[in-house]
Amino acid sequence: MDFYTKSAWVIPLIPLAAFLALTALGRNYRKAGVIIGTFAALASFAMSVLVLVERFGQDAVDYNYSFDWIRISGYTLEIGFEVTNLTALMLIVVTFVALLVNVYSAGYMKNDERITVFYGYISLFTFSMLGLVLSDNMLSLYIFWELVGVCSFLLVGFWYTKPAAKAAAKKAFIVTRIGDAALLIGILLLFWYMPDHALGFTMIESVFEGQGGIIATGITTVIALLIFLGAVGKSGQFPLHVWLPDAMEGPTPISALIHAATMVAAGVYLLARTFPIFEASLFASDVVAYVGGFTALFAATIALAQNDLKRVLAYSTISQLGYMFMAIGLGSWTGGIFHLFTHAFFKALLFLAAGSVIHAVHTQNIQEMGGLHARMRITTATFAVGALALAGIPPLAGFWSKDAIMAVALEQNLFLFAVGLAAALCTALYMTRVFVLVFLGKPKTGSEGGLESPTVRAGGAGGAKESPRTMTLPLVVLALAAIAAGFVETPWNGWLGGWLSGEEAVAHVSPAAIIGSIAVAAAGIYLGWRFYGSDRTRPAVVKEAAPWLARLLERKYYVDEAYEFVFVRGLRALGTLLGAFDTYIIGGLVKLAGSAAGISGKMALRLQNGSIGTYSLAAVIGMVVLAAAIIGRRLLS
Amino acid sequence: MSILSDIPVLSILLLLPVLGLLVLLLIPKNRHRAITAVAVVATLLPIVLSLWLYTDFDKQQGGATYREDAVWLEVPVNHEWTQEADIIFSFDYSLGIDGLSLPLLLLTTVVTAMAALAAIHVKKRRKAFYAWFLLLEAGMLGVFMARDLFLFFIFFEITLVAAYFLIGIWGYYNRERTANQFLIYNGIGSALMLIAFVLLVNTAGFRMEETARGLEMIYSGSYADILRNLADPNAWVNLPGAAAGGTNPFEMSGGMAWTIFVLLLIGFGIKLPIFPFHTWMLKVHAEAPPAVVMIHSGILLKMGAYGFIRFGLLLFPEQAREWAVALATLGLINLLYGAVLAFRQTEFKLVLAYSSISHMGIVLLGLAAFNEIGLQGAIVQLVSHGFISALLFLIVGSLYERTGTTELPALGGLARSMPFMSGMLLAAGLASLGLPGLSGFVGELLSLLGLFESMRWVTAAAVLGIILTAAYMLRSVLGITFGERREEHAALRDARFVEALPMIVLLAFIVLLGCYPSVLTDTVGVSVEGFMDQLFATRSGG
Repeated sequence: MDFYTKSAWVIPLIPLAAFLALTALGRNYRKAGVIIGTFAALASFAMSVLVLVERFGQDAVDYNYSFDWIRISGYTLEIGFEVTNLTALMLIVVTFVALLVNVYSAGYMKNDERITVFYGYISLFTFSMLGLVLSDNMLSLYIFWELVGVCSFLLVGFWYTKPAAKAAAKKAFIVTRIGDAALLIGILLLFWYMPDHALGFTMIESVFEGQGGIIATGITTVIALLIFLGAVGKSGQFPLHVWLPDAMEGPTPISALIHAATMVAAGVYLLARTFPIFEASLFASDVVAYVGGFTALFAATIALAQNDLKRVLAYSTISQLGYMFMAIGLGSWTGGIFHLFTHAFFKALLFLAAGSVIHAVHTQNIQEMGGLHARMRITTATFAVGALALAGIPPLAGFWSKDAIMAVALEQNLFLFAVGLAAALCTALYMTRVFVLVFLGKPKTGSEGGLESPTVRAGGAGGAKESPRTMTLPLVVLALAAIAAGFVETPWNGWLGGWLSGEEAVAHVSPAAIIGSIAVAAAGIYLGWRFYGSDRTRPAVVKEAAPWLARLLERKYYVDEAYEFVFVRGLRALGTLLGAFDTYIIGGLVKLAGSAAGISGKMALRLQNGSIGTYSLAAVIGMVVLAAAIIGRRLLS
Repeated sequence: MSILSDIPVLSILLLLPVLGLLVLLLIPKNRHRAITAVAVVATLLPIVLSLWLYTDFDKQQGGATYREDAVWLEVPVNHEWTQEADIIFSFDYSLGIDGLSLPLLLLTTVVTAMAALAAIHVKKRRKAFYAWFLLLEAGMLGVFMARDLFLFFIFFEITLVAAYFLIGIWGYYNRERTANQFLIYNGIGSALMLIAFVLLVNTAGFRMEETARGLEMIYSGSYADILRNLADPNAWVNLPGAAAGGTNPFEMSGGMAWTIFVLLLIGFGIKLPIFPFHTWMLKVHAEAPPAVVMIHSGILLKMGAYGFIRFGLLLFPEQAREWAVALATLGLINLLYGAVLAFRQTEFKLVLAYSSISHMGIVLLGLAAFNEIGLQGAIVQLVSHGFISALLFLIVGSLYERTGTTELPALGGLARSMPFMSGMLLAAGLASLGLPGLSGFVGELLSLLGLFESMRWVTAAAVLGIILTAAYMLRSVLGITFGERREEHAALRDARFVEALPMIVLLAFIVLLGCYPSVLTDTVGVSVEGFMDQLFATRSGG
C-alpha cells in the first residue's frame, strides 16, 4: 500500500489553501484564522501520520514524482517531491508542532487585532516548510528554503510598529541571505558538474557515494562548504548566528515553531539529505564538526548571562543545533536527525511554556519573575520536563539523543567530546538558573522589580494566573513527547538510525559517554542550584571576581558590534564613496559633455522656451539626412 | 491555421492606440470622464489582442505566420557605372513577431493599460496627456514589431518624442530640465543607432530581384536581408539575381563590423542604461509622473536591451562573443554599483531608479553567458522587471497622492492605515529582491545559471548582489510600511478599487511567471533555439 505516500504532495497544499483563503477573507473574520488554520494543520498532520504508517510497512519503497518546471533545450529544471523515511519523519515533526502551535496561538494571540493575518502567515510557513521537507532536488529545496525564510521574516516582524521587531525582521532576512547566496552558488556548481545537470538527491547520492572520480575532490569540498554555509545561515551557527536571538521579537508561538523546532533545523536536514557530498570530503566534514562543536559551547556560554527568557532559549537552540552539526560532521547524520527530532519537542515545549509565562507576567526579564510555581502549576511542571530533557537527564528525550552524539564523538574525536561535555555542563547550568529565577523563590514585587517596571503595573509575577486550556493542552502534549520521544533510539537499540538509513540497526553502548553525560548534567544542575537557588549573592561574587568575563558574556562576545562596525558601516562608507563618485565624477562628465555638445544645448534652450515642435522637426530632419546619406554614398561610390 | 493569420493583426494592434488617439481628439477637453474612458478602453483592447496573439502563437513556426510586408517608397538611383543591375532604395513597412518580441508586446500592452488607470491622478490637461500617452503606446508596439531598420528607428523616435512631452509637461518640479536631459541622452543614443543602421543598410541590406525592368539590386532596411547576408557572406548566390549573372556586392570588413557593433552597444546601452550612461534615467524616475515612470522603467528601458539583442547580439555574434567578458563586467558593475547606491538613497523613487540599474545588470550578465539558459534568463528578467517596476511605481503614485512625499525619513508605519497597499509594496519588494515563487527569481536564476558555465567568479560576485538587493529593498520598504506611524498619516485611506485593480493584475502576472515560468520560457525558447543555431553557425562558418 502506498496510496498516502503517493499523495504526499497534498500535505503542503492544505496549509497553502488555508493561507489563500485567509488572505482572501481579510482580517475582519477573527474566528476564521483559528478555525481554518488549525484544521488545515490537523489535516496535514493526519495525512503525515498515514504516510508514516505506510513507511513502517515491510515493502515501503521511496517514492518520487517530479515535473519539468523550466525546459530549455538541453536542460531541464524540475520541481518534485520525494517520500523517504527521513522525509516522513520530518513531516511528522513539522505538522505535529505546527498543529500544537496553531492550537496554542488561539489563546496566546486572542486579543491581537491581526490574528487572522497571523494564522495566514503560519499556514504559509507550514506550507513552505513541508515543501522544503518533501523536495526531491536542490532547486526545489532552495525555492522553499527562501520561502520559509520570508515567512520567518514576516512573523518576526509581525508586530511591525515596534522598531525592534522591524530591525530584527530585516536582520533575520539579510543575515540568512548571506548563507542563501552561498547555497545558491553551491547549486550552480552542482548543476554544471553533475552528470546530466541533475540536481536530485537520489542522483547526488549515487554520484558522490560511488565517487568514481566523477567530481574532483576539490570541487566536492567547495560544494560541500557552500551548502554548509547555507545551513550555517539558516540554522544560526557561528558566525551567522546573530539573527536568531533578535528573532525573538516575534510572537512566542512563532519562536517555538520556526525558531526552535522546524525552520532553524532545516540546515541540519539539508546536510542530512546531501550527506554523501560531505562523506566524500573529509575536510568539509571536519569543518562542519568543528563549527558545530564550537557553536554548541559558544552559544551555551552566552546563554549563561542573558536575562531575557526567550533569548536564553534562543542561544540554547543555537547551541543544540551545534550538537546536531557536530554529529553530522563526525559522520553520523542519523545522530543529528535524532537530536533534531527530540529537540523539536522539548524546545518547542520550552518556548510555549515561556510564552505562557510571558502571557501571565507581561515581561521577558527573568530577573523580574520568580515564584510562579505556585500560581502556574501546569506551566511549571511542563517547563521542568523540557528543561530536564534539554539538560540531558535520563530517561527524557534529550538525554538519549545527546548521548548518541556524545558516543560518536568519543569514538571519533576526543577534543570534540570534551567540548560537547563542557557545553552540556553550561546547558544544565543555564537551564537551572532560568528555572530557579522564574519559578522558584518569591514573586518579585515593586521593591525588586522597580516601580517603573511594566511587570509591576500589570500585576507582576505575584498576580500571575495560569494560562487558558488552549495554551496548556499543547504544553502537556509536548511534555509527553519530550518524555517519550527518546526511546526510538537507545544505546541498546538503534532502531531510528537503522530505519532512517536503511541499514542494520546497531547498538552503540558506550558507558563512558553515558556516565560522562549524566555526570556533567548533574554537576550543572547542582552548580545552578548552589548559585541561584540556595544563596542569591553568589552571581554577584562571580561578577566581581571577573567583571570582564561577565561583561563579555552579557555582550555576547561583541559579535554584533563587530559586524555593525565592519559590514554595516563598511557598506555605508562604500555607498557614500560611490555616491560622491556618481554625483561629481559621472555627473561632472555629463555636464562637460553637455556643454561641449553645443547643438543639443541650443536645442534644449529652445525647448525650454516652449517651442514644442522642435524635436519632431529634428526627427524628420534626421530621416531626411538619413535618406540623403544612403543615396549620396551610393552615388559617390 | 488560425484565424489570426488571415487578417493583418499586427497592424491592427499597432493602430488600436492610434484609433483611440483619434477618438480622443474629438472629445472636448473638459469631458474628463469620457477622456479617461476612451483612453482606458484604447489601452485595454490591445491587451486582448496581444493575449490572443500570445496564446495563438504557433510554436512550430516561431511566429513566421505573422508577417506583414509592404513597400512604402522606392527610390531608383540611376547608375551609369553599374551594368548588371539597377539600384533601388526601398523603404518598407514590415512587421513581424517572434518569441523575443511577443512577450515584450504583452508586457507593453498590460503595463500601458495599468499605467492608463494609474494616470487618473493626472490633474491638468488630461486630454493632451492621454493623447501623448496613446502615441507612446503605438510607438512602443511598433518598436517591438518592426522588422525594418528604418521603421524601427521611426517608432523609436516616436516613443522618444511622446515620452519627452509626458515628462516635460506633467512631471514634478524639475520636469523641464529632466525632459531635456532625457532628450539629449536619448538623442545621442538614437544618433549612434542611426549611424549604425545607415552603415548596415549600405553594406548588408541588399537583395536582388528579377522584375519586369530587369535585374534589380534593392537596398533596404529589411532585417531579414541583413540577418541573412551577415550570417552567411555567400548567401547571395541563392538569390534569384545571382544566377542571372550578378556579382557579389557584399563587403563587410572586420573594422566595419566592429564599428557598427560598438555604435549599437553604446546607442542601446544609453537606453538600457549601462553604467556610466545612467544619470539621465535617475532624473526621469524622480521627476516624471508615476504613470509615465511605470512605462519608462517598465517598458522603455527594455527597448534598449531588446535593440541590443536584436541588432547587436544577433547580427554580430562574433563581436559580442569576443566581448562577452566585457559585457559581463559591465553587467556586474551595473548590478553592484546600482545596489550599493540604492542602499544610500533617502528618496524612494531614487532607490527604485538605482534598483533598475542593478536589475538591468542581470540582463547584461545573462546575455554575456552566450548560451541558451543565459539568454532566456536575460529575456525573462526583462519581462519580469517590467511588471515589477510597473507595480512599484504604481504604488509610488498612489502613495504620493496621499502623503505628498516619497522621502523615506518622512514616511513610516503606513501599514497601519494602508494594509492593502503596504502588503502590495512588500510583495513587489520581495519580487524585486528575487524571492522564489515570484518572477524576479526566475530571471536571476537563469541568468546566473547560464553565466556560471563560462564565468564562475563573475557569477559568484554577482550572487553577492542578491544580498545587497535584499538589504536596500527591505530597508526602504520596511522604512515606509513598518515602524511608528506619523501623526499626519493617521487618516490616510487605503487603495481605492481603481487603484487596487491594476496592482492585483500586475501582481498576478508576477506570481504567474514566478510559479509557472514555462508559460514564458517555452515561447521565448522557440526563438532562442533558433538564435543559438545562428550564433553557432556563424561561429563555425566564420
